[in-house]
Amino acid sequence: MKRKLAVLLSAVMAGSVLLGGCGTTGDMQKSTGSTGSAASKTTASQTKSSGTTAAGSKQVYPAGTITIYGTGQPQYLKEYFDAWLDRNRDIAPDVKIEIVQTESYAKSREKISMTSVSGKAEDLPDATYLDPVNIMDLSQAGLLKDETEYLKPFVSQMVDGAATDATVSGKTYGLPSSVRPNVLFYNKAIFDKYGIDPATMNTFDGYIKAGEDLKAKSSGTVYLSYISPSSKTWRYWGRRGMMPQANAKIWDDSGNVVIGQDAGTKLALGTLDKMYKEGLLLKSEIMEPALYDAINSQQVATFYIGAFWDEFLRKNCQKTSGQWRVMSSPVFDSVGKAGAPVSLYFCIVNKGKNVYAGLLEKMWHDFHFDTKSRNEWVDSMEKQNAPYANPISLEMLKDEFWTKPSDYYGGQSFRKAEGDCLKNSAANLVITPQDAEADTIISTELEAYIAGNQTLDQAIANMDKNLKSKIGKAKIIK
Amino acid sequence: MKRALKKYRAPYLFILPFFILFFVFQLVPTIWTFYISLTNWKGLGTPEFCGFDNYRTLFVDNMFWDSFRNTVIYWISGFVFIILLAILIAVLLNSEKLKGKVFYKTVTFLPYVCASIAVGLIFRMLFDERSGLINEFLASLGQKRIGWLTDMSFSKVPVIILYVWRNTPWYTMIIFSGLLNISRDYYEAATVDGAGVWKQFWFITLPSLKNILFFCSITLTVDSWKMFNESYILPGPGTSNMSLFQYMYQSGFSIFKMGYASAIGVILIIILGMISFVQFSVRKKQMAL
Amino acid sequence: MNYKAKNRASSVLLQFILILISVVCLFPLVWMCLIALKPAEESLSGFHSILVLHPTVANFKRLFEMIPLAQNTFNSVFSAVIGTVTSLFFCALAGFAFAKYDFPGRNFLFYFVIATMLIPPEVGSVPLFIIMKNINLINSLWSLIIPRIATAVGIFYMSQYICDVPDEIMEAARIDGCRDFEMFIKIILPIIKPALASWAAITLIARWNDFFWPLLFLRKQSKYTLMVTISLLPVSEGLSTPWPVILAGTTIVIVPIIILYLLLQTMQESGIMAGAVKG
Repeated sequence: MKRKLAVLLSAVMAGSVLLGGCGTTGDMQKSTGSTGSAASKTTASQTKSSGTTAAGSKQVYPAGTITIYGTGQPQYLKEYFDAWLDRNRDIAPDVKIEIVQTESYAKSREKISMTSVSGKAEDLPDATYLDPVNIMDLSQAGLLKDETEYLKPFVSQMVDGAATDATVSGKTYGLPSSVRPNVLFYNKAIFDKYGIDPATMNTFDGYIKAGEDLKAKSSGTVYLSYISPSSKTWRYWGRRGMMPQANAKIWDDSGNVVIGQDAGTKLALGTLDKMYKEGLLLKSEIMEPALYDAINSQQVATFYIGAFWDEFLRKNCQKTSGQWRVMSSPVFDSVGKAGAPVSLYFCIVNKGKNVYAGLLEKMWHDFHFDTKSRNEWVDSMEKQNAPYANPISLEMLKDEFWTKPSDYYGGQSFRKAEGDCLKNSAANLVITPQDAEADTIISTELEAYIAGNQTLDQAIANMDKNLKSKIGKAKIIK
Repeated sequence: MKRALKKYRAPYLFILPFFILFFVFQLVPTIWTFYISLTNWKGLGTPEFCGFDNYRTLFVDNMFWDSFRNTVIYWISGFVFIILLAILIAVLLNSEKLKGKVFYKTVTFLPYVCASIAVGLIFRMLFDERSGLINEFLASLGQKRIGWLTDMSFSKVPVIILYVWRNTPWYTMIIFSGLLNISRDYYEAATVDGAGVWKQFWFITLPSLKNILFFCSITLTVDSWKMFNESYILPGPGTSNMSLFQYMYQSGFSIFKMGYASAIGVILIIILGMISFVQFSVRKKQMAL
Repeated sequence: MNYKAKNRASSVLLQFILILISVVCLFPLVWMCLIALKPAEESLSGFHSILVLHPTVANFKRLFEMIPLAQNTFNSVFSAVIGTVTSLFFCALAGFAFAKYDFPGRNFLFYFVIATMLIPPEVGSVPLFIIMKNINLINSLWSLIIPRIATAVGIFYMSQYICDVPDEIMEAARIDGCRDFEMFIKIILPIIKPALASWAAITLIARWNDFFWPLLFLRKQSKYTLMVTISLLPVSEGLSTPWPVILAGTTIVIVPIIILYLLLQTMQESGIMAGAVKG
């Protein structure tokens, strides 16, 4: 019996080997290597651009599952999408949404690139959330849908510069999802306890002094802020934080590496160096339990980071609810600009025939311009202590909903504060297709510095050297 | 010739699957790697020939040298610790007076059964600088807490511990089966002659294990140079504990510098080839003696 | 007396060292199970991690919600089992050929097989990925099975074992009119059952624990094996998965295979697997 089974099994094996595996039917389509202006003409539903609800549209979308890549806590967005689909059953009777959470926008980019390289266009997601660095990469590979035409009528209704960071050579490759400034979170209770005035933190010199005072008065138990031993320091303190504020440059206008000589870089990273050397920063990985523990025991006084940090504080540090406040980030006296805005985009992927592109555009539109459904969703998010960003539509921002005080911030309206912090913002660093790789090179040196293996000057010199030898010159795309 | 083929049709057919698979999935990729390493292919589109550019860049790439150095350290420390521990445990297990042999055999083999990735996650918690048990233990003894995964000089240690912890049982098993083949008579005769435990080990056990140890050294070498899981799941700051193979993966599949990654692959091939050659020559000399 | 005392002492020392080693082997696993049962809100710092005050299975439930557990488990089981069965079969077949047939070029080819162990397939990952793409096996579980249908180590192991099968049995079978493949199935396979069993255990473990190849070839979450999914748990930029949940995941990945291994061990010990060995 056993032998017969073995023979049968081997015959089956041989057969299936010959049939070449059970991958789905081949599709070596033109998904790879196409140029930027790809299949934006496919979806006919695009013509209905203005208007709030999608009533009367004839286009009915086929049954299926839409896959969206998201980072952070994207599953909460699903709530909105599902509710939207329920309201719009007439045009999308049998459509489901699946949100796949990725570790970072870089990982989303990696996954999409890999899938594209492996020739499986149908395995590409239908849409993905991305930040500007990764949009640059994918748009140059022709993988993102060009939304310039679609967005034209809406630009005036959105906050300033919402679409700028996704625009390459005049073409916009993503639908603005959020524009959130870099802000300064501070725990007022700690400042009150030690008698330090938070208003002194409106410049970086004042910020450092506040840190020194905190350290002295608390005998070293309270830290001004944190520093991450991993790539997060470059991401949050560097690229999205002090570098834009100090007007720093990695590349010059022709794409040559200038980070080693750049005054802005010295100013930005030098400030970090001062804080770290004086012991004002707690070395603890961000978004990990150890740091949350420290926050809850009031050992970390401030966070200089994007507004998105609000969702993590609310979710993990309920113990300090009511103690936190938000203010505009400190400025460098010589430059005078506040934190740069971090824009996120909802990008539709070019996967040959993306039949849901129109549907996704509709959903995006309602999410940002249909006040009623948006507010309903935000209420639900608040109840669950879930994340939500400020709206990008000027109309929606005027709604008093967005000036309501927040309990977590002791009566201050976080939403209003976030909107205010967008004023006087610095411009983001220039983005090039080489930035994804540049980030890993720069971060490696910074991590070595944080681990104590080299001084900051050595780190910057190494960054310069390695960028030159490994990348050489960046392509500046205007 | 034709007659031979006909007569031996069966065995040739039997070994054919291996050779087909080897050809398609090992030989062709290995040769192709040489070719791609001479281009600057990015995964999409057609590869552009660029000669030895990748190798020149590798030569001055300190991330490459870091991971190379790390892998050498992993190889040597893995080699020393694993072989020593494996011999020790195998000898202990083989001891006549041991009670509960089955229990110990099973338990000591368990680490191999566990996935290095899963155990790596456990280690990440154990070695956490602020809340990990290891540091807690050190602190209770009055020692300073060590940044196992945040300090560049220590970040290799958890990786090595994980690697040794998980792979020793495999080699223990191999050496143990080798020990079984040594007849007890030798040991008895030696005891009668008055030789102590250590002498017995040195003059009876070790020589009989020569073949097995050679096999172990070859496999251990190949294994440690392609180490991936352990350093992937216990990342340290910068490239302080990245293995060479991991760097190759990152270059090829994270930032899509496929030509560059292939060049690293070629370097790996050359290194493995050289080391194997040296090991075989040494062995040959040993056997000739 | 001196001799007896010395004997006693060394026996005790032996036990002691082995117990120490056993503790080192078992500790991470036991600790993992403890943490997996801890509710996510409890402190995990230092020695607190050992105290499990309110054991709960909430972490497992949470895991079930977060990842397609059933699907991924199926993927792991499928690739592990099918991979093992095919590997066993083809390795034994080739091992049989090398061991019992004296065909021209046998020695050369045998050493060639051994030599292939020196250069691992990993070094050719980049082109291998392209080959897989071209034969449409990306995202297919078969990409994990097919390349390793016959492995050099397996062939080596099997050939050594089959060498020991007495030739007389084969002669007798041949006289009875048994031809090659039939002989393999009817005569050899039953005899080498112990080797098959132990190699099956090894291969099963290796395939279940496989990480690099699934990471490379599988691109969609529904196709991931359990190992890949679990490894992706902690590293979220956003949702910082609480450690107990992560360790619940590792528990799911480790415990079943340990249980399976223990079962196979007991079966071997009790001789169920013992076939007709050296006669």
